[in-house]
Amino acid sequence: MKQLFYPFDISLESEMKEPLDFNRRSRTKDVDRVFRAEITNVIRLTEMEKLFQVRIMDDAERQRFTFLPGQFLMLELPGYGEIPISISSAPTNKGFLELCIRRAGTVTGALHKARRGARVGLRGPFGTHFPMEKMKGNNVLLIAGGLGLAPLRAPIFHVIQNRSDYRNVHIFYGTGSPEQLLFDYQYDEWRRIDDIEMEVIVERPDPNWKGPVGLITKLLDHVEINPRETYAIVCGPPIMFKFVCARLSDLGVPMQRMFVSLERRMHCGMGKCCRCNVGSTFTCMDGPVFDYWSVMNLKEAI
Amino acid sequence: MKYLGIEPKRLRFAVFEFTGCEGCELQLANKEETLLAFLGAVDVVEFREVSSARNGAYDVALVDGAISRTDEVERLREIRARAKVLVALGSCACFGGVNRMKNACDLDQANREVYGDHPKETLPTRAIHEVVPVDLKIPGCPVSKAEVERIVQHLLFEVPYQFPVYPVCLECKQHFTVCLFDKGQLCLGPITRGGCDAPCPAGGLGCWGCRGKAADANIDEFRSIARERAHGEREIAERLGFFGGFEEHS
Amino acid sequence: MLFRTLAKPDFKALVERILASTEVIGPKRVGTDRHGRPIHHYLPVESFDEIDLDYETTEFSAKTYFLPYKENLCSYRFQDDDWRQEIRYRIQPRAIIGLHACDIHALIKLDKALARDFFPSPYYISRRKNTFVVGIDHDPCEGGFCRSLGTDTATHGFDLFLTDLGERYFVAIGSDRGFRALSGLPAAEITEQDTEDYLRVRKRIAAGFKTEINVQNLPNLLDIEFESPVWEKWGGKCLSCGSCAMVCPTCYCYGVSERVSMDFASGAKTKQLYSCNLIDFAVVAGGHNFRPNRQTRLKYRYYHQHRGFMEAYDEPKCVGCNRCGRTCLAGINPVEVIRDLQAEDET
Repeated sequence: MKQLFYPFDISLESEMKEPLDFNRRSRTKDVDRVFRAEITNVIRLTEMEKLFQVRIMDDAERQRFTFLPGQFLMLELPGYGEIPISISSAPTNKGFLELCIRRAGTVTGALHKARRGARVGLRGPFGTHFPMEKMKGNNVLLIAGGLGLAPLRAPIFHVIQNRSDYRNVHIFYGTGSPEQLLFDYQYDEWRRIDDIEMEVIVERPDPNWKGPVGLITKLLDHVEINPRETYAIVCGPPIMFKFVCARLSDLGVPMQRMFVSLERRMHCGMGKCCRCNVGSTFTCMDGPVFDYWSVMNLKEAI
Repeated sequence: MKYLGIEPKRLRFAVFEFTGCEGCELQLANKEETLLAFLGAVDVVEFREVSSARNGAYDVALVDGAISRTDEVERLREIRARAKVLVALGSCACFGGVNRMKNACDLDQANREVYGDHPKETLPTRAIHEVVPVDLKIPGCPVSKAEVERIVQHLLFEVPYQFPVYPVCLECKQHFTVCLFDKGQLCLGPITRGGCDAPCPAGGLGCWGCRGKAADANIDEFRSIARERAHGEREIAERLGFFGGFEEHS
Repeated sequence: MLFRTLAKPDFKALVERILASTEVIGPKRVGTDRHGRPIHHYLPVESFDEIDLDYETTEFSAKTYFLPYKENLCSYRFQDDDWRQEIRYRIQPRAIIGLHACDIHALIKLDKALARDFFPSPYYISRRKNTFVVGIDHDPCEGGFCRSLGTDTATHGFDLFLTDLGERYFVAIGSDRGFRALSGLPAAEITEQDTEDYLRVRKRIAAGFKTEINVQNLPNLLDIEFESPVWEKWGGKCLSCGSCAMVCPTCYCYGVSERVSMDFASGAKTKQLYSCNLIDFAVVAGGHNFRPNRQTRLKYRYYHQHRGFMEAYDEPKCVGCNRCGRTCLAGINPVEVIRDLQAEDET
């Protein structure tokens, strides 16, 4: 007997045949298709963190891949799982990406065992970004605590590559102890750039430590801030950005000009799984980058 | 065998049984479709159910059964000293299991009842971790072979394994299983760790809690639900005490 | 919309025609509960007689046929150091006969969340478009509060929608596919008498609702009553078992897990529907739990139902079927929780 209903095969739809581009959010696509990527280098940063340099393998996909500072990726280890990871490299590098990963669970544990040449999957980019355009012509404070330097690197690289677009730039970084400092090999380079001040502070110094000691907010005591011409990006654990933003607010910086990145455990990155909801806000769609005023208004954000 | 460019460890496994029915060990040997692959991934140096080999050194010891005699205590201590990773396999090893019931009785009387005029030396039943430190507990009566396989894979690649934290109810619902409370039965599903795929309620048998307590199990509320549905204190206590996974509540 | 009437034997003929070529899901009686009430589930059927269209409600919603409890998102084949990803979407047609209006509204809400605007899900769309939906009117079920949420009647989201007029069905045709399905059957143009009879039945149904709640003020109220003791009261009872979200026709939260075959030759990425009441729902890397308490998690569920979804789509996510209230062993039911919140607001 003749079939009453025609089978519907979504893979034959025209949108599905377009090249995979997660920036085109409204298009129907293979949302769980990954870009195959190869680990080209593994750089040991600390006892707990490694930097993975990965390259999207397909030439066309690599060229097409674009992201903005602050966006994140879903990193897939086939068979182990998928985790959200902020992009830690310059947006101009397109499909050559750097991902700074702390060993914490199953997927990151397995990843820390992986060597160069291993193939992983990437989906993205997802989420909101820091408003680098709006910040043009202003002073910029780039502030990170602990692992927060990983997401802060994308805006740092962006500011460095477009140095003439911004006025004075401060990079402030704090960790618990000197051995937890990430990317310590890069500070000197950043400091040599005209009008970039970089200061690093630790809470618990070791005998070799020569820099300042204390909480990150201490670094804000000496800096001259013109609140009307200043933007801030603050990356770190909630307790850290809460104090930093409160301090900046005291100094007169409007909360709408402070940007933070929230961490949640996304399972999809696409506003579907609901795992990253804060109150009724999807961190993966409306964030991870929020201005601080919005964060103040989110229930259970901090 | 390489996986994602990572060469897994070649681990030597040994399986030992103590007081119990050996059902968990049989379970390991049972799943024929994956048994060869399983045995291909690890070196089994001691496993009575599948091999007669006995050649000493091992990395991972899977221990099935509870501890109920002095010689078992000594044997277990020796295994602990030799194993890098000691895994408690099954509800008896994890909680004491059904054997634990005897702890509620007078030991001599229990001995006489079972062995008559030829009493055996016996100790109160203990879980493995009550005797020696345990690295990993895999509960279940019997254990789920699929879960054991996954854990073994994680051991080979030295990455942590996450057990499900949700209670059995979730999987019952996902299988369209009619709630046994709705049929007037008692069921520990709401407070027992899931991940078993809820086969007992699907077969019409209320959960007996073989996988132990779910994370954040709301025992107080569970008791009042059971009471409201006319299950007596004794029935509830017996159910909670059956496998020993709710020891402090039974 | 086009309307027809169809004699009941002709409807049976239609279902048998569908059965001849396509899988059919329908409300099936599976047993009796401890109070002597029948239990129905949406299950695959092999003959028309297995379908009990006169059911009050089902224990579970039909969402698993659109949003499976467990779904394979992709498979992996491993070889040497490399791997290949394979993705398959459902292409087999299927029919669901006998959905009530609330469940059709649930599909409309899921369409909004999963098939529109951003990152439309090809998995959901494939199942939705491959499913022929036949709805049916019914007298209010006990405890259902769909009328308060405007989900007691459906005007779209289905292929055919039936209203029982005794000997015949009044049929609303919601799609070209529905129209074609009727071709060759003696479906009659509607008469004035049909319309009159239809309106009388609708009136009878509308008069039968006993449970009503006011949901208008909920989005605001949930914000104000964020620290309300009501959450302590109901949250303290919560078993954190996730049953409410599993039976809910619109809960779509999920978690993803992966596994590898024992011979390391293949792997799969699986999506499993999850619940915001489960303890690890909001755990992040490193182990911090943003919602460690039962009351916070329960509150969050209401937040999503009546505020979050509202903000995004101008309507609550809840359809008022009260399946969550019926399935909850601890007796947490939305009508009482919402009334408590509103009472709290008035004191």
